[in-house]
Amino acid sequence: MTELEQTPPEPKTSGVAPKKARRSYVGEAIHFMREFGRNRGALFGLSFLVILTLAAIFANVLFPGNPNLPGNPTYQTAPSLQNPLGTDDLGRSMLMLIIYGARTSLTIAFASGSILALLGTMVGLLAGYFGGVIDGALMRTADVFLTLPTLPLILVVAALLGPSLINIMIIIGVTSWPFMARLVRSNVLSMTQREFIQIERVMGASNLRIVFRHLFPNQFSLILVYTSLSLPLVILTEAAIEFLGLAPVSISWGFLLNVSINYWLAGAWWMSFFPGFAIFMTSLSFYLVSEGLKEVLTPTLKRKRDSLVVQLAERR
Amino acid sequence: MKRSIIAVLLIFLVATINFVIVHITPGGPQSIFVLNPHVSVAARQLMLAQFGLTKPLYVQYEIYIVGMFTGHWGISYFYNEPAFQVIAQRVPATLLLMVPSLILTILVGIVLGVLGARRPFSFVDRFLSSTAFFFYAMPAFWLGFVLLTVFVLFLHVLPASGMTSVSGGGSVPDILTHMILPVFSLTLVNLANFSLLMRSSLMEVMDQNYITTAKGKGLSERLIFFRHAMRNALLPTVTMTGLFVGFLLTGAILTESVFNWPGLGLLTFQSIEQRDYPIILSLFFIFSIMIIVANLVTDVVYGFLDPRISFD
Repeated sequence: MTELEQTPPEPKTSGVAPKKARRSYVGEAIHFMREFGRNRGALFGLSFLVILTLAAIFANVLFPGNPNLPGNPTYQTAPSLQNPLGTDDLGRSMLMLIIYGARTSLTIAFASGSILALLGTMVGLLAGYFGGVIDGALMRTADVFLTLPTLPLILVVAALLGPSLINIMIIIGVTSWPFMARLVRSNVLSMTQREFIQIERVMGASNLRIVFRHLFPNQFSLILVYTSLSLPLVILTEAAIEFLGLAPVSISWGFLLNVSINYWLAGAWWMSFFPGFAIFMTSLSFYLVSEGLKEVLTPTLKRKRDSLVVQLAERR
Repeated sequence: MKRSIIAVLLIFLVATINFVIVHITPGGPQSIFVLNPHVSVAARQLMLAQFGLTKPLYVQYEIYIVGMFTGHWGISYFYNEPAFQVIAQRVPATLLLMVPSLILTILVGIVLGVLGARRPFSFVDRFLSSTAFFFYAMPAFWLGFVLLTVFVLFLHVLPASGMTSVSGGGSVPDILTHMILPVFSLTLVNLANFSLLMRSSLMEVMDQNYITTAKGKGLSERLIFFRHAMRNALLPTVTMTGLFVGFLLTGAILTESVFNWPGLGLLTFQSIEQRDYPIILSLFFIFSIMIIVANLVTDVVYGFLDPRISFD
């Protein structure tokens, strides 16, 4: 026997998942808020979204009465003290319509966001961890989804299935997962090479345990950042579907814009300006929040500050 | 070579998916005939038979797939003309919008990215970045509206919609003035992605060792920046162009709808509204091919520019 074989190398401990001194959850949360609050843009975005969400939840308290019925006879009035954002062609206050429209937009944003996060994470974890045939099949599927002309397809399905919030949520969620899947996959790939995963495997941990106890928690902040980063796109897509008027849901920002086409030539600029501004502010706020989350949660990316699309471009 | 075979397979697959999605969803062209009380039952049957809609679905599929690859794209239900012809008439208008916008976006995007990356986190850089975020979050159609309101409603300097004026239209200056607003809004929406990408990839390159070496050799900063850094920083931008075609298509549908521009985007929208299956399917076929070919070209160009990457 040679000497080498007599003394097996000591298992290295440095590669084991770092066990840092654990702060309490409250301390963790305070630390997070302090870091997050340092980014003024993110703070602004968050407060805007919180206010908007509260207003949307309490819309019927703020504006009693059915928003689908015509308002007072003073239709199409310019912004005034009584109606800060003017009134529409049926005499309804634009402010009321926009706040009711926030219900639609926010619901769709969160629902589609969850669907895309769930699908993208599952596919990415499976493809990255198991590799081989599963990886190939899933990633080729993602490729096909990426080559589909997304917006036209969404429009067709939305038009044919008829106007329904749930349809729109599902369509947007189902067509936008591939980028998320790619990102999670590439991260999982590099993580399975790390020693703590390999040690876990040697120790006989089941696949399920490795994926859900180790890989998934390590992806969590990335998933969160990426989901919030794609919410502006979800908001814009939803608004685009509504704007084209192929699947009108009763009150939504996109459809308010669609209606206003008929009136802007007559000079009713407030009817098109404010709904669009609401879409813009909401998607900008989600973007700013995601920037803030990225700085806190994934500090290695802090310096680069790139946009969503920059990361999409780094797909190789 | 292998990649082009994959590309053809992909086109086939995407065409199939398009067919399935369009046909599986309820509310087809029949519903439009059915809803019309002036169409008698016999006439409706005749119409359906004429367009081959009475045949079983798998026969329709066979006709569709063979037709797609041989140039027989079916007869439009609405225009009663070959779909190919209807679409071909609209292509020049879309190209007139997309090509200038693409060129502008790439050129201006690179210049803005360079301006930002020369002095990272300076005033100019922060101003450019935040402006880019603004346009990134902006809905394309709303930007069109704002432009319309300002330039048409308040300033009365530019025409509102269409490609030509009603009276005496069609001359080159006339079309050009109609082009300004759509091209401008299509460019602004996509510009942000491009300039941010250029900026961050330049900044990344400037951190690398060979740039430090070049600085150590005493080369001027300008030379390092434009000769050494730019070349490598352009690589991710090339990758982006493939994705970009998809964005442009999306942007074209919205922009053309706002400005009533008679191109492919408006045709897409109208034929979805009219449940004009042959046109919808042909348009999807074209869009898919455009995206797939753009990706293929991107891969080839990328491999050519960066010899470290090899496919197959």
